[in-house]
Amino acid sequence: MVVKMYWISKGFIFTKVDSFVHKLDPRVKLLISIQFFTLALLVSDLIDLAIIFIGIILLASISKILSRLIRTMLFALLFSGIILGINIIAGYSFIYSLQIALRFVAIVCSTSIFFLITSPDELEYVLRWFRIPNDLVFAFVTAVRFVPIILLDALQIIDAQKSRGLELERGNPITRIKNFVPILVPLIVNEVIRSGELAEAMESRCYGVVKKPTVLYELQLNINDKLAIPFCTSIFILGLLFSI
Amino acid sequence: MKEKSIIKFENFSFRYDSANEFILKNINLEINKNELVILAGPTGCGKSTLLRSIIGLIPHMHGGEYKGRVIVDQLVVNDVKITDLAKKAGFVFQNPENQIFMFSIERDIVFGLENLGTSRTIMKERVDSILSLLKIEHLATKAPHELSDGEKQKAALAGILAMQPKILILDEPTSLLDPKTAIDFINIVNDLRKKIGMTIVIVEHRLDLVVGIADKLIILSNGKIIENNNPKQVLHYSNQLIPEIGIPVISRLYRNLAKSNYDFDNVIVTVKDMVKEMRRKKFND
Ligand SMILES: Nc1ncnc2c1ncn2[C@@H]1O[C@H](COP(=O)(O)OP(=O)(O)OP(=O)(O)O)[C@@H](O)[C@H]1O
Ligand SMILES: [Mg+2]
Repeated sequence: MVVKMYWISKGFIFTKVDSFVHKLDPRVKLLISIQFFTLALLVSDLIDLAIIFIGIILLASISKILSRLIRTMLFALLFSGIILGINIIAGYSFIYSLQIALRFVAIVCSTSIFFLITSPDELEYVLRWFRIPNDLVFAFVTAVRFVPIILLDALQIIDAQKSRGLELERGNPITRIKNFVPILVPLIVNEVIRSGELAEAMESRCYGVVKKPTVLYELQLNINDKLAIPFCTSIFILGLLFSI
Repeated sequence: MKEKSIIKFENFSFRYDSANEFILKNINLEINKNELVILAGPTGCGKSTLLRSIIGLIPHMHGGEYKGRVIVDQLVVNDVKITDLAKKAGFVFQNPENQIFMFSIERDIVFGLENLGTSRTIMKERVDSILSLLKIEHLATKAPHELSDGEKQKAALAGILAMQPKILILDEPTSLLDPKTAIDFINIVNDLRKKIGMTIVIVEHRLDLVVGIADKLIILSNGKIIENNNPKQVLHYSNQLIPEIGIPVISRLYRNLAKSNYDFDNVIVTVKDMVKEMRRKKFND
């Protein structure tokens, strides 16, 4: 349980990778992911799906994140198995059900690849580029920054309570839920204190003085981006033509 | 006439809304420009409360009963916004984790400047100068979770220095650091003062880290100032020293030896002083 949570909390932390794709402008990465996503939504037959998977796997391997993508893929396959089963029970043909199930996997992969190649920092820049209000962008930034920290807090509290004899995985469902009270209460107290400190630190660094803060760097397309855009878009258009 | 003091408390008392008692009671205190002041006292005596009153978190964020005045660089705290004070006084809090907001250290360093709408060119200059001032160039593009505690504390300090405050306030900045890192951090603070000249107010439980570099030692007990003088005076002559403030070992040694008629030429508060004194004695004998 604790190990699982540690693993999850690490999943929320973006890992930097040094690859050609990672160095692209985040807007280009978003474009590529949206193109994959659209294709995955539109295609229907198994050969087209296979081509999309090859594309995704190619992109993942030049971004050096294949092993992490495969992890997501396995999770998605688990769900798609359920989708497959339900469809077959509902009386659809096996091929049709398989198409729907695999399409689900393709959609999940094309979304998750975006988050694997885009750091939260870059995401923030993209949000600002879309003119999302500063308060919302900052809420997003703080959420992403503190989710793993809060998870680690929870782990520490679980450890502490276990060493005092709390048994989480014992008893019927209701006692199991009750078991979580000694974890939730200190966790909430902890995070209320933390949010108070955050608010003080924000105030003392002039948060909200101007409505639209300046930003240290500006997004700029370099030569690689300018080549990647037409390249990916032409493949995308070809894909569209073939699938329809 | 030029004012000598930069922070001034005049008959200041404060009670938090949720508390029945006044936490600070009739404080009168002046802190001069470019002084390094240690604020010490037992836990719960109101040190953080006093610091919050300097940058206006009290009364603007924590409401309560507020008496008297606090004046910071000619601004009356009660009459101006926190953000006006934030440009004059920077506050480094105890836990660096909760004051680093952005995903890269350089972005976090300019967080305050971004919020003020500062131009990109100025921000870039400021980042470079502060990274080199604190010798943390290698941290620029790191994410907060990749930093050690000591590095986090330096990053938090960098974010405050970027706003070029005249006053630097540090609330127990070393309490989460190991002894070596703590010493390093205090040395950095001392260097800063020499290089750019700032008024520094620091709450520190490990007095032996800071007595050697401080101009004044203020002791707060139960919401009142019971000592306010140079550290040697306080540690040597005060008859109100409370054990909770963590009197440096050297100072205790000195006091005990002096009591038993061991005769010293100087008042001693640091190991360095003691070594010097002993050497001199040896040669004289
Ligand atoms: N926001 C608040 N609301 C109500 N009471 C508070 C608040 N913050 C602190 N207090 C109370 O005010 C008193 C002084 O707190 P303060 O944090 O100033 O002490 P301190 O000297 O900084 O102690 P420490 O060394 O533990 O940090 C404490 O009794 C505390 O419980
Ligand atoms: Mg305190």
